[in-house]
Amino acid sequence: MKPMVAVYAPRASALHAARAAISAAFCAAFALVGMLYQHPLVLLAAFAGVLAAAAGARVGGELLALLRLALPFALFVALVNPLVSQRGETLLIRGGDLLGRRFDVTLEALAYGGVAGLRTLVIVVAFGLFSVAVDPDEMLGLFRRLSYRTALTGSITTRLVSVLATDGARMREAARCRAVPARRGAVARATLSGALDRAVAVAAALEVRGYATAQRPARARRPWSRHDLRVSLATALLLATAVAGVAAGVGGFEPYPRLDVELGLRESLLAGVVVGLAVAPFAGASARLGVGRG
Amino acid sequence: MVAEDGSRAAEAIVVAEHFGYRYAEGDARSLVDVSLELDAGSLTIVAGPSGSGKSTLLRAACGLVPHFYGGQASGKMSVAGLSLREHGPSELAAVCGTLFQDPESQVVMGAVRAEIALGLEQRGESAAAVARAVEETALALGVAHLLDRRTDTLSGGELQRVALAATLVNRPALVLLDEPTSQLDPVAGDELIGLLRRLNEEWGTTVVVADHRIERWLVAADQVVALERGRIARVAAPTEYLDWLAQHDRARALPAAARLFASAGLRPLPTTVKQARASLQAVGLTPSLIGAATARPRARNGEPLNGEPLNGFAPLRRRERPGRRGGAALRMRGLWYEIDGGPAVLRGIDLELHSGDCVALIGRNGAGKSTLLRHAKGLLEPTRGSVERAGEVALLLQTPGDYLIHEHVEQEAGVAGTNAAGLRGRERTNPRDLSGGERQRLALEVVLGVAQTPALVCLDEPTRGMDCASMDRLVARLEALASAGAAVIVATHDMEFAAAFAGRVVLMGEGVVLADGPAADVLAGGWYFTTEVARVLGGAGGALTPEQGARRLAGEGGR
Repeated sequence: MKPMVAVYAPRASALHAARAAISAAFCAAFALVGMLYQHPLVLLAAFAGVLAAAAGARVGGELLALLRLALPFALFVALVNPLVSQRGETLLIRGGDLLGRRFDVTLEALAYGGVAGLRTLVIVVAFGLFSVAVDPDEMLGLFRRLSYRTALTGSITTRLVSVLATDGARMREAARCRAVPARRGAVARATLSGALDRAVAVAAALEVRGYATAQRPARARRPWSRHDLRVSLATALLLATAVAGVAAGVGGFEPYPRLDVELGLRESLLAGVVVGLAVAPFAGASARLGVGRG
Repeated sequence: MVAEDGSRAAEAIVVAEHFGYRYAEGDARSLVDVSLELDAGSLTIVAGPSGSGKSTLLRAACGLVPHFYGGQASGKMSVAGLSLREHGPSELAAVCGTLFQDPESQVVMGAVRAEIALGLEQRGESAAAVARAVEETALALGVAHLLDRRTDTLSGGELQRVALAATLVNRPALVLLDEPTSQLDPVAGDELIGLLRRLNEEWGTTVVVADHRIERWLVAADQVVALERGRIARVAAPTEYLDWLAQHDRARALPAAARLFASAGLRPLPTTVKQARASLQAVGLTPSLIGAATARPRARNGEPLNGEPLNGFAPLRRRERPGRRGGAALRMRGLWYEIDGGPAVLRGIDLELHSGDCVALIGRNGAGKSTLLRHAKGLLEPTRGSVERAGEVALLLQTPGDYLIHEHVEQEAGVAGTNAAGLRGRERTNPRDLSGGERQRLALEVVLGVAQTPALVCLDEPTRGMDCASMDRLVARLEALASAGAAVIVATHDMEFAAAFAGRVVLMGEGVVLADGPAADVLAGGWYFTTEVARVLGGAGGALTPEQGARRLAGEGGR
């Protein structure tokens, strides 16, 4: 049974092999590009970069599956703006009056809606890459020294999602086997009640493993691997480039009143760097050979 | 503790004095006046029928009762000197590891390495100490190759071993196990028992295991604690315990090898297959001779063997197989099933079941048994090949609780179904309050319905955690269905059940049918997939059950 949401998929890749904090920062850097820039070329580069990184991390299939859910949402975001915003000077479609309000579609509003949809897509795929390529146990481990029980509860919740999904699928299958079909409400109630039973069983298991008397875990020191170095270097360069680009005014984009998009060498260079840094951790023989940790 | 001969005996690690307990929502006391001492380094079996208090006793020993479950406790109990009154499960976790029946609920982390490390991390151990302990425990339990796997990708057997590793990584002085092999195939079950025996013998860990099927534990056990209705009925060494069972109208609860001897009037009752074979050889009964035996076995001096056939022992039952096969209830032709983007689970299955057939479907975890049953019902569509059904198919999957979704028993299966499940008078009971065996019977009636006998009845692992009385009732119900014209097929890891129920056995492996024939042919010569009696008698004459073996020993020729 395939989960509806993207879940961590262990693979032999540089992104998986790097420590969770660094891999998470790598994914967050692309989300940051999506937040900092409105320029379509830069956003497209960030989107393509995340997809390329996913391919490099061997989770391209998982990310494409996520895209099938994200695309309609991005499209919705893109279409809402031209319908609700009347700004812009280039009229594309003259709509009628409804409830005393005009509904025209302008090129500027359409472009800005498209940019908003693209930004949404970049942020969604960046977090999607985080979900499928960063070990949740290790990620939660980062927070354990701050609040051990909260982090552990988060970890259990993560695990319970898949367990409860399996339980629910099993109960639906059992319902199909009944000689007399059951009402959906009864099956749903039983599934919920089963989830509570499962939660109690997990709580009991935690108790006998010393949860109530748990101490703050010791700090784990791990030597830096070549994957840690490569991914962190790419992340640092991406962050620095993105921030410097904003400071230098690269990627100018003014949707209103008339669409004004700067498309010069600087924007092309920035887009190229974003894509290049996305694939950098996976390039070269040392990355390809990195099938394990370290 | 000082023994009578003056030597210092082992210290008791679990001490209970008149301990009693009632669950918060329970009407009756689950444990009554329990007094016992379990020595450090011993291996103890907790035996008894369903509802006798086995699980509750283990829950008390790990502190869940009463601290987690609430309820009322009386008397005293201490574990490694820690009184239950003052110390809860988290404090007892330092000395006591607990492994429950369902590893799905026990495993809490996403990765195997993180799961095994959790207990030590909670104790604040250094990262180096954690890493070392995880590595060593994984190696000791044969799960080192799983360390980088996700826990949700493990099979039941793998998950159980990982749960055991997570339990043992703290090096607890006491390990409590509740039906640890009920979800495992015979191979994985033997592996787990071997690990625990090594743990007990080489590390000196005290092991307490509650199980319905005690035969595989007896060889290593120091004592058996028998519970009945929450009370201790007997604490004895394995041999004495078997004698006690045989003498107290509890002979059906004897392990198969002991029941063979008891049926044949042989003494002493063996605790292991090896002991049983040695006893038979000592009186000149080798497997080849047993096959041709015509006379009652005698001791070497010519005297009859000690012991007489048990007074009041159930008469030898010869289960009548349907003499004539009816029409085909199920036809599978060239059946393939491939998981989308995954391996082939079924590979060219050809199988035909006829009205009145009683078939056991056996094989390792992951052999494809459950998938085959799902195809029989039509829950899965074959990738290739065909499935023809002569009529309705009833399928009871592994977890009977999944079928019970109403508030009252009567709402689940109606009056007729409730009566057929043997639950007359309990119509208003919540199904969740039923015992495991009762739930199983009720769930079977839920899938059967009241209208008519289905053409085919399929059950998937129905005897998990079931005591022998419940198993006998299930066998009787399935035989009645077969007599009424249904074909019955049961996927099972329980070879004793397969021998008691099936006339035909289908052995699967890696998605193909490896063997398909009469039960005696498939089971008698097996290594793992065989019964204890067949092991004792070396498959002589195809005897599988204690009753068949006893007839073989008595020279009646058989089955």
